[in-house]
Amino acid sequence: MTDLENSWDDLPVGPAPVDAILREARRAAPTPEQRLRRSLRVVAVVGGIAAAFVAGTLVTSGDTGGPGSALPPDSGSVGEDVATPVAFFGELEAPASCDDLLAHYVGAGIDLVSAYGWDSPQIAYYGVMDSELRAQANTPVPTAPASNDRGAQNLMTAAKTTRSTSSATGTNVQEAGVDEPDSVKTDGELFVRLRGALLTTYDVSGDAVERLGELDLGDFEDGEILLAGTTVVAVGNDGTRPSNGGYGYTETSPQTRVVAIDVSDPADPTVLRTADYDAATVTARQHGDDVRLVLSAGLPDLDFVRPGRSRGGEQVALRTNRALVEDSTITDWLPTVSIDGGEARQLLECDRVAVPRAEVGLGTMAVVGFGAAAPGDLDAFGLAGDASLAYESADHLYLATTGSGRPGDFTGCGFTASCTPVRGGSSDLGGTTHVYDFALAGTEATYVGAGEVEGTIRDRWAMDEHDGVLRLAVSPSRETGNFNSIVTMQARDDALVEIGRVDRLGVGEDIKSVRWFDSLAILVTFRQVDPLYAIDLTEVAEPRLIGELKIPGFSSYLHPLGSMRMIGLGEGPTEDGRRWGAQAGLFDVSDLTDLRRLDTHSYGSRSRAMAGSDPRQLTWLPASRTVLTVVQKGRAAYVSALRVGGNELANTMTQVEFGSDVDEVRTVPLYGGGADGGDRVVLVTGEDVKFFDVG
Amino acid sequence: MTAQSDESDFADYARDAWGSLVRSGVFLGCSLHEAEDLAQTTLVRCYTAWPSVVAADNRSAYVYRMLLNCLHDSKRRRWWGERATERLPEPNGSHGGPRIDAMAGVDTADAVHRALAALSKPSRDVVVLRYFAGLTEAETAEALGVPRGTVKSRLSRSLAALAANDHLADYSPARTEETTS
Repeated sequence: MTDLENSWDDLPVGPAPVDAILREARRAAPTPEQRLRRSLRVVAVVGGIAAAFVAGTLVTSGDTGGPGSALPPDSGSVGEDVATPVAFFGELEAPASCDDLLAHYVGAGIDLVSAYGWDSPQIAYYGVMDSELRAQANTPVPTAPASNDRGAQNLMTAAKTTRSTSSATGTNVQEAGVDEPDSVKTDGELFVRLRGALLTTYDVSGDAVERLGELDLGDFEDGEILLAGTTVVAVGNDGTRPSNGGYGYTETSPQTRVVAIDVSDPADPTVLRTADYDAATVTARQHGDDVRLVLSAGLPDLDFVRPGRSRGGEQVALRTNRALVEDSTITDWLPTVSIDGGEARQLLECDRVAVPRAEVGLGTMAVVGFGAAAPGDLDAFGLAGDASLAYESADHLYLATTGSGRPGDFTGCGFTASCTPVRGGSSDLGGTTHVYDFALAGTEATYVGAGEVEGTIRDRWAMDEHDGVLRLAVSPSRETGNFNSIVTMQARDDALVEIGRVDRLGVGEDIKSVRWFDSLAILVTFRQVDPLYAIDLTEVAEPRLIGELKIPGFSSYLHPLGSMRMIGLGEGPTEDGRRWGAQAGLFDVSDLTDLRRLDTHSYGSRSRAMAGSDPRQLTWLPASRTVLTVVQKGRAAYVSALRVGGNELANTMTQVEFGSDVDEVRTVPLYGGGADGGDRVVLVTGEDVKFFDVG
Repeated sequence: MTAQSDESDFADYARDAWGSLVRSGVFLGCSLHEAEDLAQTTLVRCYTAWPSVVAADNRSAYVYRMLLNCLHDSKRRRWWGERATERLPEPNGSHGGPRIDAMAGVDTADAVHRALAALSKPSRDVVVLRYFAGLTEAETAEALGVPRGTVKSRLSRSLAALAANDHLADYSPARTEETTS
């Protein structure tokens, strides 16, 4: 270090050129940075892309706290009504022109491209890093989780679990009020199912399920649906370029097709509008009648060469590929949209594509909002970087950089989310995750600020927003110690800053599941035993570990039944203790400082609790105190009905399906739909839609 | 900003801060020449926003944050890529005093870059601001927009990493001979 210190002193630095600075400064002075406008509101243009900016909401003076109201420190007087077409600031900046944006893409692209195109033979290197990490993970670590101050636990706390039931359309979702797409949707009377390209409508108001009509969506694959009033929004792809084509890089850029279908006459569903994007769907979320897509466009298809005998060696190929990147145009990089098969247009105006200051991976994210019935009227903005982990609360959208940022990494994959691999050019992010916060209003979004946290965020379930505070379950990276943390962040001025944290949760272990409540987080980690942690978030700046429970096995999905009980679906030793299989656990969470597991049910060896990877295969029926969940055993699929007695679980297994259709099994609740005001359940299997007798 | 006193305040500040800003630029990955440009750009922006700088609770944090922003603007690329040199460093053949020896500056910058290349960018920022530029922990945290705990943990990890680094060891004997006067 002394050498570096000497170097500091030895640098031959001359005197300050004060005159030159003053000269230049006076020239620059009349044009202070014009970043007053931060709203991303745009005028919706029918059938096209909104391009014009309108003045955003006036910021009222004295309002310095909440999302969307804070101003960067040098943005002039608060409330001053000066329009400028710049809605990005701080960590995200709007490019001055399309050329400026292209320069960013090309500059980063040239660094990234190899003799093999975007593919890079660096996986081996990262493999080494991985095994190093594992080696680290295996070294014994002193087991000293934050020493609980027992005395402090009598403090006032709002920490408690709350009941979570399926969404208004019958889907078990992460966030109340934010609906997620699924293969089936219902409004309590109308029931809609998408299977392949076939959309079928049913009447579920009678004694038996009655099929009403169907519509073939044609070239449509891997789709899921949302239901808003009498409009079904189907999100999938046209089948030419599936976005789930396998591990790592895909050969061509992915495609997304959005179809709005009118089901006001359920017997005769008709297509309202179709929108095609050349980008992969990261998430589709519904807030009321508004739908928001987060798309990831990855890297452009350029005609890259590869080294080969006839074509010259690596150097030639590298030069050629770099030249191709250099010659690319902005249309190569930005995603397009085509409405009803019309001409493809650029989805994003250049000045609505924010360029991140931080070195995040290369790629383009697009956030597109529209009314369910009008998927052609778009509010869109973009981010010139690969931040393809998306989480939406009722009024915030957070985009985060994923994982270790290794090339070929999945996007949005973690303990429960479904995966959409997008070819993205990630650079090594140095173990730091960047998070971008947007406030939502209708189909619009307003940039709030950006922040970073050391460590990685595994999937959307590891993120949660409550009352303007972002809470994160952070997994280790090389910038952190070998443990997991709960971190709280809040928007201050133009940045999202860390305000509190609890470290040393599950030292040397992986996060298996997280469940968030207003003032509480329940976290499950695993390596050999299953520590289940309760973290009190009442004081957001001082989150506290208040409870811990160690049991064999782990829960990969947690479902709160109410403020007293919680169910965990996961894996553990079978009853004979010699084998391993799916298990359900019933937890007493009434006293968070004294967590208890009341009962477990083992499904036997070679069984799998499907809710662990897809929570949509779980339904909680409070009226009959029953959890329905899909369990696979061998090649057969069962619905496990777990009746929750006082302190125990009583299980009834019903075989419902065979083979690969197990993923399609759903138990859709019609709360209060029974004759006596009880709940009814629609069972969906590969071939069938019928009522299921909960018993 | 019209008041004459403001201007002379600013000039004083610029003279004071210049050395540390340039050195920080070098330690953050610039050549000496780039670092001078960077310091100049930063100070120009400071002048433009002088009232805010003066009003800021913490002037150093504000100015160094600007420095980092300017740096990101100018090189949004990675830390240790190929860098074109605009000025060819030419040793002054006849009278090469250590203070004006451009070559010495280039060598020093090179050694610094190699030594610091082992650190991740966030860690480098912390080391340069906290340790070398001498900002307080709070100022560093504010300039970087990270919590104080992060500054502390990054700093201790980085210093440990640097202690085990041999790029400096390779280089130091020669340099020490040349420049110790």
